[in-house]
Amino acid sequence: MSFILKRVGAAILMVWVVASIVFLAIRLVPGDPAELLLSQGGVAPDPAAVAELHERLGLDRSLPAQYLLDLGRLATGDLGTSLQDESSVADEIAHRLPRTLELIAAAALFAVLVGIPGGLLAAMRPGGVLDRLGRLLSALGLAVPVFVVGTLLVLVFAQTLRLVPAGGYVPLAQDPLKHFTLLAMPALAIGLGLASSVFRMTRAAVLDVSQRDFVRTARAKGVAPARILIRHVLRNALMPVITVLALNLGTLLGGTVLVEYVFNYPGLSGLLVDAVNARDYPEVQGVVLVISVLFVGLNLAVDLLYAVIDPRVRHA
Amino acid sequence: MEISRRSLIAAGAALPFLRLSARAATTAGNLVFGLSSYPPTFAPWANGGTAAATAKLMFHRGLLGYAADGKLRGELAESWERAEDGAWVFHLRDAVFHNGQPVTSADVAWTLEQVAGEKSTAYLRGECQRIAKIETPDPKTVRLTTKEPMATLPLLVASYFLPILAKGSSDGVTTGVGAGPFKIVGQERGVSIDFEAFDKFYRPGEPKLKSVRMIAYADENARVAALQAGDVDLIEYVPWQSMAAIEADPKLVLQTTEGPFMYLVFNANAKPFGDARVRRAIAHAIRRDEIVKAAFFGRGAGLEGLPVPEGTEFYDAKLAHGFAYDQAKAKSLLAEAGLAGGFSCKLLATAQYGMHKDTASVVQQHLGEIGIAVELVLPDWATRVSLGNKGQYEFAVQGSASDSNDPDGLASLLAGNLSPSYTRSFALDIPQVDQLLAAGRAEFDPAMRRAIYAELQSVYLDQAPLVGLAWRAQGYAMTKAVQGFHNMPGALTFYSGTTFAEISTG
Repeated sequence: MSFILKRVGAAILMVWVVASIVFLAIRLVPGDPAELLLSQGGVAPDPAAVAELHERLGLDRSLPAQYLLDLGRLATGDLGTSLQDESSVADEIAHRLPRTLELIAAAALFAVLVGIPGGLLAAMRPGGVLDRLGRLLSALGLAVPVFVVGTLLVLVFAQTLRLVPAGGYVPLAQDPLKHFTLLAMPALAIGLGLASSVFRMTRAAVLDVSQRDFVRTARAKGVAPARILIRHVLRNALMPVITVLALNLGTLLGGTVLVEYVFNYPGLSGLLVDAVNARDYPEVQGVVLVISVLFVGLNLAVDLLYAVIDPRVRHA
Repeated sequence: MEISRRSLIAAGAALPFLRLSARAATTAGNLVFGLSSYPPTFAPWANGGTAAATAKLMFHRGLLGYAADGKLRGELAESWERAEDGAWVFHLRDAVFHNGQPVTSADVAWTLEQVAGEKSTAYLRGECQRIAKIETPDPKTVRLTTKEPMATLPLLVASYFLPILAKGSSDGVTTGVGAGPFKIVGQERGVSIDFEAFDKFYRPGEPKLKSVRMIAYADENARVAALQAGDVDLIEYVPWQSMAAIEADPKLVLQTTEGPFMYLVFNANAKPFGDARVRRAIAHAIRRDEIVKAAFFGRGAGLEGLPVPEGTEFYDAKLAHGFAYDQAKAKSLLAEAGLAGGFSCKLLATAQYGMHKDTASVVQQHLGEIGIAVELVLPDWATRVSLGNKGQYEFAVQGSASDSNDPDGLASLLAGNLSPSYTRSFALDIPQVDQLLAAGRAEFDPAMRRAIYAELQSVYLDQAPLVGLAWRAQGYAMTKAVQGFHNMPGALTFYSGTTFAEISTG
């Protein structure tokens, strides 16, 4: 019990530290939201209007006062309202987060479906044609930046062949077919790099596990090769693959911005970048906080799960 | 399942049948428009940038506005004149707001009071405070008396920053109830806005479209790709590097106008930029055509004088080239200022927008040729605005457009007696410029105005309160099915949203 309390306490502390760092960091960067809001399109803002807006947005208060006010708000689960148009930050995140999660999930699905069988096939005959081709393609997949892949996909499939729209988003309920058509290209752009990582990791892990004693014993016992590969080798080899995949997916939570821009996909990363550009303090804090809570929450869940599985962790 | 060669071929053959979703943009009576960014605000009287202005022109209208050819025309006011006592009188037409209420003089008076009010954050607050008295003798007449004679008042009330709203319908932040040709029927913040035709719009037969959907494309290449792929019918802010490809595409049409321009502003507190000779030396040291090539792919023109568009009545061919490239003159001006050996300085621009960064690079290179060692400072846009407003720079690259095609539209960039702003030079007040701007604003006789602005151009060449660099082509591109859209001339290019009411498709 005390282990759980300690872990939960540490998680809350972590979220508080993140909230405080984000609060300070965004305010330390030069640039004033009121000035920006009133000086769009390269025109001069009226200082009286800027002062008036400062007052309205609560930016005329001292930094400690703003911090305490913010923290009090966040403690009650209120993410505040945007400085740009007073819309609810929580609503905006609730709108965008599922899309980003869906995009990441689709990319992960592609990576798993291509990377794991590919890695397995390559590892079965190291140095063979499939292996060499797979390694070459995965090196390419890792080396080519995601926006280049994205731009090429748009150029070929949307602009030249005109098979699919160049980008955008349609809710699932509105038009399921169009929804998945629009999801396919961005998911593929992210998924190619991810599949390359999964391919390489699977191949290496399968090769490694294949050399282990228990595999040799299984072979000696006359177990069918396919059964050895699937039940003994792949099962054991998948642990590091899943770890790598999970790490990559975590990074993608706030890191799909390039793909979102190329495909005009309205996800969470784009919201964060726009909020930073507009110095929309509550929105930046809200998005970063939600992403960090997801991270910390996932870690906490894993920690607790370890404790359930392995009693030694509880007493370590 | 095994993937056989046969199934792969079958899958390939099926691909063309997946075309369903592309090319669905144009259906008769509907239009999809690719915005350059999502409007950060719909506050009716704020300056929310060009995307916001275009969106607001859909559902708001002012007393006056501009026709497609750039000529002033009546919108909510049917006619206007100057009374004998000097007041401006506006006669309202029979128009109704989106809530069905008639547009009356009380709504106009209320709007002007809100904009000029104490707590207002309106862009034109200062200008509207020049109105001393608002009278509403009857529901269809508004009389505006200005503190000083103001020939430019019609331009003020034609601004898209001054839409007339139904009395009490906005606190200055919320959209309010307007009388424009379209109504907002849906929006997703950061993504898209949906409009529907307003069936009681005052111009007969307009709007011709039934609905308009605006989709924000923050990435310029994605915007062009969307047009080429058929996702959208019309886009704004066509990137210069894509203009040639769009012109070459038989299915697309490109419309450009030279309206906005790039220029240099100076901080007079930062030595030696307080010295007019140094500013003039810089003005003569830059080969403008190289900026046009580097930043705008040749889509623009050099700007060697005050930004007065060619072809307007205030244009003077000789004065317009007063800052022509002359390296010898630049060097001699530097020597005159006691800086024959050159000096080192920092040029502020932004890395966020290619046109600012590329312009700064060319300026850096050319100034190096006359012994001025320039270091570029390239923060993000928000930081650049903040540094500019606080005067924390030496000289800076800036891009803007005049408020109108009248020279008075340059006042906000030239006047030294206004508050500090990143769009004009810092701590650089040249009384002669301020006096001439005031004189031009108060003068009603066209010939006299021409003389005043000719003198302003001479003073500009002598004092260089800012240094013009290049006009840039501002482009809209559309499919051939889009009829009736006009990229309005010169500085009015950002008013082109007015012509959405005249667009028809298919």
